[in-house]
Amino acid sequence: MFLSVGVRFEANVEALNMVETAGNYGKHRRVPYLVEEDGRLKTVYVPAMSGESLAHAYQEHLVNEALSADLPVCDDCWRMEFYKSMNKVHLKKKVDPIPDDPKKIEEAIVKACVVEDVGGFLYAEKPPVRRSSAFQVSYALPVKSVALFATSEPQLHARHAQMDASSKKGNASEQMIYYVETGTALYGFTFNLDLDAVGVSAITSKPILDENEIKKRREASLKALFRMLSSGQFGAKLSRFFPVGGITELVVSVTEHPFVVTSPIYDDYLEKTQRRLKVLESFGEEYLFTAATGEKVPEEALKEAIDYLHEKGAF
Amino acid sequence: MKVKLRPTGVIALRALPQSKMRTALRYVPPTTLIGAIAYPLLHISGDRRETIYERKTFKSKAESAMGLFKWTTIKTESKPKLYGSLLKINTIYQREKKVQSAVTSFPFAVLYGESSNSLTVVYLIDEEALSESTYSTKDLERAAWGITRLGSRESVVSAEDVNRGKAKIQEVNEAKTKYAFPFKGVDIRGKGTLQTVVDWRSGIGDYSNARRIVMFYPEGRVEVQGKLSIAELDGEVIILAS
Repeated sequence: MFLSVGVRFEANVEALNMVETAGNYGKHRRVPYLVEEDGRLKTVYVPAMSGESLAHAYQEHLVNEALSADLPVCDDCWRMEFYKSMNKVHLKKKVDPIPDDPKKIEEAIVKACVVEDVGGFLYAEKPPVRRSSAFQVSYALPVKSVALFATSEPQLHARHAQMDASSKKGNASEQMIYYVETGTALYGFTFNLDLDAVGVSAITSKPILDENEIKKRREASLKALFRMLSSGQFGAKLSRFFPVGGITELVVSVTEHPFVVTSPIYDDYLEKTQRRLKVLESFGEEYLFTAATGEKVPEEALKEAIDYLHEKGAF
Repeated sequence: MKVKLRPTGVIALRALPQSKMRTALRYVPPTTLIGAIAYPLLHISGDRRETIYERKTFKSKAESAMGLFKWTTIKTESKPKLYGSLLKINTIYQREKKVQSAVTSFPFAVLYGESSNSLTVVYLIDEEALSESTYSTKDLERAAWGITRLGSRESVVSAEDVNRGKAKIQEVNEAKTKYAFPFKGVDIRGKGTLQTVVDWRSGIGDYSNARRIVMFYPEGRVEVQGKLSIAELDGEVIILAS
């Protein structure tokens, strides 16, 4: 089974994804939006959130869900440091001595950690072993029709420190101003989850875990998505820049094989997704489509999808 | 088979996978297009394998789908912009009491703006190879609807339309096309970008020693002269690799 979710969320005055700092100026991540003006292309930079940032948040929720379901999570992931068995130092914590057989390496990692099972890993040693992530996240970008209204605005702040003559060092000032660039936009992003990949080897195609454990892990991965979206716990600087807004629209499709909802950055994403899903009927494929655009709230739509997966025996 | 794709804004493809220089490709190469359809195709057959190990070599399972196609190419509606923020990476090894810091950038091609930014992929299916495989035409069509990514990471796409038809290959001396083609022994009239990509015939997966070819990615329609093998689909022309 394959789940695809399109999310539109409003975020006013947020600092969800910051990049480089220039002195005392923290910049928001931005991407170029191309506009045609008088026959010439112009670039307007709009705030954005990377898929990497959203993926990190999802994996944090996955750690919590896995632990509460009594499922294994490795030390690194438990500390929310997603090194993902990238080298011998990290792999040795799971299996020592390290086997020569890539199949045995993958088996040891998958058995030891739900996050690396669902989120994939790359062991960059000899032999190299890779496992693609079972979930995929796009960038969160301003919805195209209103992208030009998205803003990145620096907000002035000041830090204060009490200093007397004896504790003052060099040119350190008692006051320090700094800027945090905040974004305001209606964002859209896509999240996919390939449930058939959970607990199954990417080398032999055979299950590494028993069916019961696979089902538990699938359930944890669905709950993690539900938790991430319903709580708004994704992105950075939530303690002081928690975005004003929330999810405005959400669509979910569940199919037997991969299918991606049309990205919510396009205004016609809802109708397009429904029409495209209709085509799957000609392949004899059953599917579920649900949307939270009016009466329904996002949590209800997500629960509908999770219930459908439960009915289908995914967990 | 013609597949219309809509990007989610970003296509992240590394030009040199094993390099410290993280240059991104501006346009999508044939190897990526094969990998993109291989994932849903393998999913349909219940095959979850990604890496095939043969003694000391290893390759991508996507290679098993390669033989089904005579050629694959892409039409890109608007010129993607390469962009990458500077990123500071701080690593703290709590147990080893080690702190590392580095500045890097992961550029990507941005397909985001006022224009439609749509991508159209053509897969020229080898019917003989398909009949000898375990897949049917319907499987390939369903797989096309299931393309999820072009390359890695955040490069999520959705398949918006899939059309299937017969295409006859002809030899001509002149053609007009909007689709990418190998830049070899041809004269071109029109605008476009040259990009070095992995030669898909070297296989998919390990590109460290793979041969490279130069592809021409047109901006709009270009006129091409030379000894050309072409195929016509829906009034559009694609130029095949020789």
